[in-house]
Amino acid sequence: MALLLALPLGRTLAEGGVQLGVWRDPYFVGRLGWTLGQALGTAAVALAVGGPLAYLLSRWDVPGRAAFLRFLLLPFVTPTLVAVLGLTALLGPQGWITRLTGIDLSDGPGLLLLGNLFFNLPVMIRLAHAGFSRVPPNLIGAARSLGASGWKAAWTVALPLALPGLAAGFILVFLYSALSFGLPLTLGGERYSTLEVEIYTLTAYQLRLPEASALIVGQLLLTGAATWAYVALTRGGAGISGRGLVPARGGTRAVIWLLMGGVSLICFGPLLAVVARSVLTSSGLSFSAWEAVLSNAETWALVGNTLRFGVLALIGAVTLGGLHALAAWRARGPVSRVLDGLSLLPLMVSPVSLAVGYLLAYPALSATLPLLIGAYTLLGMPLVTRSLLPALRALPPRTLEAARTLGAGSWTVWRTVTFPLTLPALRGGAALALATVLGEFGATLVLTRPEWATLSTGLYDRLGRPGERNLTEACALATLLLVLAVLAFTLLDGGEGEVT
Amino acid sequence: MQIRRVVIIAGLLLGSVASAQTTLTVISHDSFEVDKALVAAFEKANAARVRFVKAGDAGELLNRLILTRRAPLADVVYGIDNSLLPRARAAGVLDAYRSPALKAVPAAYRMDEANGTTLLNTVDYGVVAFNYDRAWFQKAGLALPKTLDDLKNPAYAKLTVVSSPATSSPGLAFLLASVNQYGEAGAWNWWRMARAGGMKVTRGWSDAYYKEFTRNGGKFPIVLSYASSPAAEVFYAEGFNAAKLTQQSPTGNLFLPGSTFLQLEGVGVLKGAKQPALARAFVDFMLSGGVQADIPTRMWIYPAVAGTPLNPVFKFAEQPKTAPIKPALLANPQRLIDGWVTNVLRR
Repeated sequence: MALLLALPLGRTLAEGGVQLGVWRDPYFVGRLGWTLGQALGTAAVALAVGGPLAYLLSRWDVPGRAAFLRFLLLPFVTPTLVAVLGLTALLGPQGWITRLTGIDLSDGPGLLLLGNLFFNLPVMIRLAHAGFSRVPPNLIGAARSLGASGWKAAWTVALPLALPGLAAGFILVFLYSALSFGLPLTLGGERYSTLEVEIYTLTAYQLRLPEASALIVGQLLLTGAATWAYVALTRGGAGISGRGLVPARGGTRAVIWLLMGGVSLICFGPLLAVVARSVLTSSGLSFSAWEAVLSNAETWALVGNTLRFGVLALIGAVTLGGLHALAAWRARGPVSRVLDGLSLLPLMVSPVSLAVGYLLAYPALSATLPLLIGAYTLLGMPLVTRSLLPALRALPPRTLEAARTLGAGSWTVWRTVTFPLTLPALRGGAALALATVLGEFGATLVLTRPEWATLSTGLYDRLGRPGERNLTEACALATLLLVLAVLAFTLLDGGEGEVT
Repeated sequence: MQIRRVVIIAGLLLGSVASAQTTLTVISHDSFEVDKALVAAFEKANAARVRFVKAGDAGELLNRLILTRRAPLADVVYGIDNSLLPRARAAGVLDAYRSPALKAVPAAYRMDEANGTTLLNTVDYGVVAFNYDRAWFQKAGLALPKTLDDLKNPAYAKLTVVSSPATSSPGLAFLLASVNQYGEAGAWNWWRMARAGGMKVTRGWSDAYYKEFTRNGGKFPIVLSYASSPAAEVFYAEGFNAAKLTQQSPTGNLFLPGSTFLQLEGVGVLKGAKQPALARAFVDFMLSGGVQADIPTRMWIYPAVAGTPLNPVFKFAEQPKTAPIKPALLANPQRLIDGWVTNVLRR
């Protein structure tokens, strides 16, 4: 962490010094307000829609439930520009939905907020679902038998117990939206740019490091406060991973499907639109872009690189994230809390300032493999820790003690009890981490080389040139990335069905 | 140290452990591309390996070179253009080298320094220019604007999308052209009127072209791009056949007087290069016949060496007469960008 985070960031701040005067400029104060506003708004909507849906899905089964939860990982692998293409195809000025309804969202912040939801609803739903899944069903059953209504049982029993998951979701969504970069960069235009975009402009284009550093410091205070709130809220874990889903009927089923439909529209609609654009050209339906992409040897090199980097980063993220979660679980009191908070550190730091720091701190490493994998590992690691830690904390201490009294050594306890019980959470976290890495566009970190091109850099290359062919081929490559991702998640999530 | 273990595994899997062979590192902007076979031939002829590093767009590339000048990221740089050269010179990131092949580049395209040295050898040139959507204008029955003054009026401003001078190189090129045309105060006035009239400013070229341009689902039929874009539109169209070229490109050039900018891109040796001799060989390589002929349909720009054959599809791209930019403007474009940000963007 010190090597990968603190040192590079420190170098960025030290290079130019910090010029706090920039915070007196009403322009930047306005940017701060907008950054906070859009992040809080996104987190609130995600909680309002994702929370109830996650609860219902943790208790009742409907056909398509497992597939829905698994496909929810797809937005993670989607490179920003692809999401933007999909959203524009549906809701842009000439979008399919815009033409149908006559409502044009492209001038206000509407598209940006929808884009935020596209990327963040899945985070909310999956983390809240993990939280609710650990509420023992017999507790809710007991409340019901004592006369509580379904709503009341959910509100008074399930909600408090699932609070860590919900809070984790809310704060992660807030952090992701506050620090997101590609989305406000492309969809926000100049009017809705966020602090992160301003930091990028000041460093990458204007080379005004002192001013950028002041913004970075402000942003760190902001994200630090969010993290502190998060750690305070999620102290301790509760319950055992509950099983036994009841098939949903009648009203419940209708509500679940309604919510699933709404979420699908936001999270899968843009992806389907991209798939459609890969075969719909100005001269009608055509598979020639696909023929070109599939017959090109370069495409297979892209696929190979994407998989190799994904696997390498996955190994790194699972090792580091797993050890981190174990340490935070084993430690007691304030140490545990500090370790807990530290796991969110990679999310607190602006990726742009980090990239500049990498350049300054390790110029010789630029475009070397360790730096690339290191950066990818850092991206995926918090997701593993965040999935694993609640599961570890939810382990019933008595089970572990029982195993010990029956004569099992600590290694045997670990192998036969701890590991199997937390494996589903680990697999879920690994799937999230892999998803993040697969879609990451490494060129933003100055880390790519042509022979290392991945599917996402390949499609960005095509989108850098004019012409319809480039657009349809980029959409075909994006589709390929999605297919690859679905295969990877199916392997990682396995037949277990528990998706964190 | 888990990181170390990961790195070792990574090294084993990818075999990326540096070999004993000499390596030349080439840094460039993201749009750089050259035929792999040509690179392989260069590697063979010089008994060296070439490593490419892409560092964002041209402006970002230069900033990274300036930030890391004490420990250079590479030996040779491609992609710094005439608008960025003054900053590169002031920051001292380049070493002087004039390729013998530069003789074949017309004087108008060379970037020679006043004192007779050469920091950048021109490899290619492009013309930043407005493009329009032919079908849209035909359907609307609207005449095309004739001057830059027309373009700032709401009737046309609301049809126009440009990328920001602060964050994109075509945007900066157009800013320079507009200041060249109107002077600073006049240019700020032009930009403010155009924006008030509905002109959209995006961050980068691809946002403007793939999100806002009417041909790709947006609502602006006039877009800031390159003079060669209409040729690329034909080349990348569905069912392109070089033997049977269509009558017309779906997009056209809109050469409003004073709106175009001649962009010269060059290659140069970085100060502190570990392989200066190889770096110079690479400069010569970029100006050699094979690379020059490969450039047009790969990067959609014109080769700098006179007499290099062009793909027939380039007949869809016109070459405008571009008003020469006053040298004073090129001396410090950053000052103009800052002026644009305070006088236009944040107004």
